[in-house]
Amino acid sequence: MRHVAFLALIVALLAPGLLFAGGQEEAAGAGAETEESAAEPVELSVLWFNDANESEVFQEAMSDYLEANPNVTLNVQVVPFQDYENKLKLMIAGGDPPDIARVTNNHIAMLYQSMLPLEGNMEGIEELKSSFYDSSLSLATFNGSTVALPTEATANGMLVNKTYFENVGIDIDELSKTWTWEEYVDAMEQAIEGNEQAQFGIAYDYSPHRWSTLLYAAGGRFLNEDETAMNFNTPEAVDTLNFFKRLHDEGLAPKSVWMGSEKPQELFMSGLAVTHIGGSWWINAYASDIENFEWGAVHMPKREMSSSVPGGKFVATFEESANTEAALDVMRAFSQQGPNAHYSANTYNISARTDNADIDYPSRSEDFTVMATDLANTPAYAAEDWKSPELNKIYSYIREQIVEMLIGNQTPEETAQRIHDRGNEFFE
Amino acid sequence: MSRRTKGNFHQTLAPLLFLTPNMLIFGVFIILPAVVGLRLALYEWSILGGGEFVGLANFRRLIGDEMFWITTRNTLIYVLSVVPLLLVSSLGLGALTAKRLRAVAVFRSFYYLPAMLSFVIVAIVWRWILGDELGIVNYMLRQVGMQPVSWLTAPGMARGSVIFATVWMRTGFFMVMFVAGLQAIPDEFYDAAAIDGASPRQTFFRVTLPLLKPTVLVVTVLSTIEAFKAFEIIYVLTGGGPGYATKLMVHNIYELAFEQDRMGYAASNSIVLLIIIGVLTFSQFAVSRGEFTNE
Repeated sequence: MRHVAFLALIVALLAPGLLFAGGQEEAAGAGAETEESAAEPVELSVLWFNDANESEVFQEAMSDYLEANPNVTLNVQVVPFQDYENKLKLMIAGGDPPDIARVTNNHIAMLYQSMLPLEGNMEGIEELKSSFYDSSLSLATFNGSTVALPTEATANGMLVNKTYFENVGIDIDELSKTWTWEEYVDAMEQAIEGNEQAQFGIAYDYSPHRWSTLLYAAGGRFLNEDETAMNFNTPEAVDTLNFFKRLHDEGLAPKSVWMGSEKPQELFMSGLAVTHIGGSWWINAYASDIENFEWGAVHMPKREMSSSVPGGKFVATFEESANTEAALDVMRAFSQQGPNAHYSANTYNISARTDNADIDYPSRSEDFTVMATDLANTPAYAAEDWKSPELNKIYSYIREQIVEMLIGNQTPEETAQRIHDRGNEFFE
Repeated sequence: MSRRTKGNFHQTLAPLLFLTPNMLIFGVFIILPAVVGLRLALYEWSILGGGEFVGLANFRRLIGDEMFWITTRNTLIYVLSVVPLLLVSSLGLGALTAKRLRAVAVFRSFYYLPAMLSFVIVAIVWRWILGDELGIVNYMLRQVGMQPVSWLTAPGMARGSVIFATVWMRTGFFMVMFVAGLQAIPDEFYDAAAIDGASPRQTFFRVTLPLLKPTVLVVTVLSTIEAFKAFEIIYVLTGGGPGYATKLMVHNIYELAFEQDRMGYAASNSIVLLIIIGVLTFSQFAVSRGEFTNE
């Protein structure tokens, strides 16, 4: 018994040491690493999310750089998009952000304060900035500082099942050049009527960002002119909400996307939905996954105008990243014309570089042209709205309020007022 | 009156030393975060931007927060549905599989299987089954000429669906507890009941159930705590929707903390949830205490 007690004493005394021994070793390792010179081997942690094959193509695009810099290795961790923002936030809050992260413009709006400003830190940044579209760069510019480098520009837009429209004698490419919301509804109804498998006119991404495409087309917006408060209790917002409710009430839009949890892309790919309002990133996925019907991008229908919503994907490093110098070097290399062209073409994305406007995609170039045209017609304030951290904080709330309206628990006017008021709470 | 002895090393210090590693882990990973959470609730705290002391303002704000009351109501509906259903279903299955019959272990394993799956996997599977347009059940209904059912898109049906999926998943786990409880009841009680001419129904309510009260209490407490903390299965199955029909307190806390970046306010919500669970658990033990004293 005495031996057992002695053993217990030993275990109790050793336990704290055992618990913390690993931590001390890591800390010592980190300390040693900071003393190493830049030429020493450096492993960069890269946090990435995929729309389709982006992580793979990113590494392909960097192969020449990695060959020329054998001391650099990329440790790419791919995280599902739905978990990505929280993962990144927790890493930053824990003082251990990745060296490089792929981010959207919405992520930047939330996290820009922790990102490393490129001016004064990245060599040749001014020249590099001049190679990007202003609209892309502006999404990564806060308080006069650029905090991320654009990799691709994205546009909200409409993809349609062309076979269904052909079957009912509608030239959808021609019609969509000028169509209004009413003409769009009429065309959807004809396509459903004339195709047995078609059940719905539109599968609409479950996203306030995508929903806002209709808002901007109606001439509305979320924020006021100087982006200091909400401006959502307007006739344009109510008009858009009414139209969206009508799509659901008349069975043109399935309830299962906004009120359930089914994926709009699955409804479109299965042929149940005639059109899909999503974004340019779907072109990549559809190019490989849809084989049994013809599809393509068409212009968004007009109310006051034909609109899209600009967005983009970027790469950034952080104030507290362990290897900022090497990370900046990789980011700069990835943003050069050659790697960017390879990346954009092989991920079917619109390049954020002006000198890559005419890159050869393996296919589907005409779809990008359509979306780029809509993007060119989009009012500049669409991007300004979605740069707002306050608007991004009520993202889920906007979605819930729209669904409450679709269920019939509140009117479009009440919905607009509630979103307006909640947003202003954050501005105040 | 005997003099109280100090005891030797084996009786005093040794047990404490054995407990020390566990207490250290408990302190670092449970007590410390709880204290930090309590402190956080007194701050207006951003995950990236630091905090400002606001005292009890976060708790006062709760009173006027519509979403707090909606999610509290939803949580109570969920708990009051899930806990009784779990008790009945797990006790029923426990009673059926506690008997020493051939191949009963196979059935027990079969019923326990869902408890071994992750909440996310279960939710995805039920989404495939119950989806409006792409779900298997509605597909079969359409095949036989029936109208599809809005399992996940009508508020009432969605509540029912998440409750059903939870009960389906957790019944096996609590069944095992009842099996253990039932097998611990001596056969003499049943022999005596049979000699007295008790019917199976009388035997169950007069013999089995009273002797199972400790197990019933444990299952009630554990399933109540679990139901109050429910998040993953609902988040994946319905996303809290349609609207906020299935949005529970933990989901709201998650959104406040990670989407709205209001860590302090989220912590104050967590403290309230902790108090509710604590009060209910204490009440359950208090109510049951008197009934166990004579056993």
